[in-house]
Amino acid sequence: MTADTMQQDATETRGARLKAVLLRQDVILLGVLVVMVVFFTTMNPLFFTRFAFANILQDWAPVMLLAMGQTYVIITGGIDLSVGSTLGLSGVAAAMTMRSLNEGGTATGATIAVGVVVALATGLAVGLVNGLLITRAKLAPFIATLATMGAGAGLTLVLTGGVQIAGGPVEVIRLGNTQYLNLLTIPLIIVFAVLAVTWLVLSFTRFGRWTYAVGSNGFAARGAGIGVDRHLLKVYMLAGLMAGLAGLFVYFRLGSGSPTSGQGQELAAIAAAVIGGTSLVGGSGRMSGTVLGALITTAVLSGLILIGVAPNWQQVVIGLLIAVAVGVQQINVRTRKGAGRG
Amino acid sequence: MADAPIYEARGVTKSYGSVQALTDVDLSIRAGEIVGLVGDNGAGKSTLVKVLSGAHQPDSGSVYLDGVARAWKSPHEALEAGIETLYQDSGLCPDLTVSGNVFLGREKLRPGLLGKLGFLDNKAMARVAHEELERAGIGLTGVRRNVNQLSGGQRQAVAIGRAVAWARKVIVLDEPTNHLGARQSGEVLKVVAGARERGLGVVFISHTLPHVLQVTDRIVVLRLGRVVADEPTSSFTPDSLLKVITGLQATGTGPKT
Repeated sequence: MTADTMQQDATETRGARLKAVLLRQDVILLGVLVVMVVFFTTMNPLFFTRFAFANILQDWAPVMLLAMGQTYVIITGGIDLSVGSTLGLSGVAAAMTMRSLNEGGTATGATIAVGVVVALATGLAVGLVNGLLITRAKLAPFIATLATMGAGAGLTLVLTGGVQIAGGPVEVIRLGNTQYLNLLTIPLIIVFAVLAVTWLVLSFTRFGRWTYAVGSNGFAARGAGIGVDRHLLKVYMLAGLMAGLAGLFVYFRLGSGSPTSGQGQELAAIAAAVIGGTSLVGGSGRMSGTVLGALITTAVLSGLILIGVAPNWQQVVIGLLIAVAVGVQQINVRTRKGAGRG
Repeated sequence: MADAPIYEARGVTKSYGSVQALTDVDLSIRAGEIVGLVGDNGAGKSTLVKVLSGAHQPDSGSVYLDGVARAWKSPHEALEAGIETLYQDSGLCPDLTVSGNVFLGREKLRPGLLGKLGFLDNKAMARVAHEELERAGIGLTGVRRNVNQLSGGQRQAVAIGRAVAWARKVIVLDEPTNHLGARQSGEVLKVVAGARERGLGVVFISHTLPHVLQVTDRIVVLRLGRVVADEPTSSFTPDSLLKVITGLQATGTGPKT
């Protein structure tokens, strides 16, 4: 092959790739988001205010944390249904720890630090259990995480007796809600930092590459010398860790641990990833898509409330969004397969 | 001795429960030699592949690499020692790029701190992948394309090219031309022949006897777990090879019809 045709091929594939990206992913999502914003704003001008946007960001952050982990998990070809109840469990675990330390007279800084560690450790532990059930007990991810989802939610109720856990240091609320630049809170800034890291790792590192490889063809990945089980274990632990962080986020925002705070959140996280273009078959997906997916789901929910739709409709709407997103994906897969032949 | 085998199985016996899959099998591969391994279904080809690739341990007998007895504990160990195996249908990761697949499990990292953090050097991998595939005789446009955009024949060529690029001693190819059209098979066979030019030992397992006769230097026939023939390819005709495989004839040099 001559250098000339190579150059030409390179340009052609670059052009084709650009077109494909424009047509398929982020640009379409961005368009959907813009249309939504325009729609909700015309229905209720309050939607397009700094206050509403700050609120959407606050709703977005925990969903985004769960969705980051979910993106990794779904790319490996799995699913993690437990992240919502892990959010609740770790938030409650942190709240109870901080309450008892606070009542025992421990310094505020130390109390908060221990609470943070407890929440993250709880999330990691659930992730570890998920990973072991999947790689050692060979349970399907759907079943393994369904089991921990139920167990986690039950454990949360057992621990709390079903009531809110207040009584932590009062500084928690201040830490969680003080806005800088009229928009960002410290927890939000941390979420952005974590997002940057998970995005970089997924897109540019060997860990990310192996995540795609495991989901794309686990057999080939194993044949290439990749420790597939080890990698899956890490990915589920990452998802658990993110859920623990999300539990902390919610706790810092509300100032108390709510046993029901994680309910339905796994659905929102899966919706965010899937709307963002992550394929449930495994092997493909991007963090940028998940970011937009999470923004779309949270903006829809805020918008619906602002135009007077009862909050109870939320789960219905998220369910619909998942169905539409997966439907669109399947149309895409079909056309891509048709085009790729020959 | 220049003609000493690079890789060898001696007296390999393997049974699964009451099923005797291999009985006292000898197989030797020299550098720059393509050895065809043929036999009917259930003759023991797959078992022998697994023993050669390190996936299974023989019950008795041993494999020798450069004359040294080796007991592989895992395929990874054999891989590290320079033996690449391309399993039937093991394939590639369709969602990764060609170069991502070529370097799968052996990713090149960036120099310096970024590399320590696990950042990939995609540019270098793409460049080397392109060179290696071209050296293996595979002309592909764009190694940064995803494998799911390639045809079946191109995918198989990449899989073999990958094995050829990494193998230092031997490649074991299990049904590399399965499910491929005539033209695509031709390309794959060219790559296999290229591996010989590079001084690798090649074990070529196939049901497609014309391919075996076309590309191999020597043919080993397995029947019911035993080696029933081990002769230069030139002593077989398509007809005699089939007869040896099915047991109607003892050697390839029988009377020609």
